[in-house]
Amino acid sequence: MSDLTQEEEREVERVMMQVNAQAWGVSFGLIFGLGLLIATMVLVIKSGENVGQHLQLLSAYFPGYRVTTLGAFIGFVYAFVVGYGFGRVTGWVYNIFASPRH
Amino acid sequence: MHDFRPEDPLPSPAVGTPERRVRERRMVPQEPELALLFRPLHKRALGLGVGFTAALVMFLVTAVPLATGRAESLSLHLIAQYFNGYTVTWPGALVGAAWAGFVGFVAGWFVAFCRNAVLGVRLVVLRARAEYEQTRDFLDHI
Repeated sequence: MSDLTQEEEREVERVMMQVNAQAWGVSFGLIFGLGLLIATMVLVIKSGENVGQHLQLLSAYFPGYRVTTLGAFIGFVYAFVVGYGFGRVTGWVYNIFASPRH
Repeated sequence: MHDFRPEDPLPSPAVGTPERRVRERRMVPQEPELALLFRPLHKRALGLGVGFTAALVMFLVTAVPLATGRAESLSLHLIAQYFNGYTVTWPGALVGAAWAGFVGFVAGWFVAFCRNAVLGVRLVVLRARAEYEQTRDFLDHI
């Protein structure tokens, strides 16, 4: 790196420390989405009385979500969006604080 | 100024230069692609990232039902079992956000710590294995 200026070296170090916020968003989105999909489907398959009486409280945040097979996929979409936002914001804040001046 | 992207290979410092010695002391692989592959996560930055996001989510989790008037039906007060001082009110939303920020920071910091530790161990094992592969036929050359 000796042929780079000090400013360029700092820029290289800054870029090397960064994470791909979009990839983090997709990763968190899939984790959240698949987590809710699996949690819902397990309850649907187990069935019984009052299926998912607690999990369906999520409909307060995710309108249209129900503890049914269709609801599991609706929940997947909602949870993916929330997870994507979570990962994206986490990556964005990480990149701010991971730069060498911090 | 060049537009550097993480996938751009960086030139490896020449042998004997201060940059090279620093990288060797820090056990950073000399090949630029490997250096990118084995770069550690910034613990404090990940802690702040997860903490900030968790605080935001926790605030919204309380604020949305409060704003829509559905807070009673959600039993959100049970969160106070873990977050001391939390109530389903606007000040409680801030208390919950502070707690979630703290818990998120600790979680993010610890995840980065564990990830870096595992990566470090893996690097040591890889180096040891590579050195063993290079020297195991040493006696055959005598």
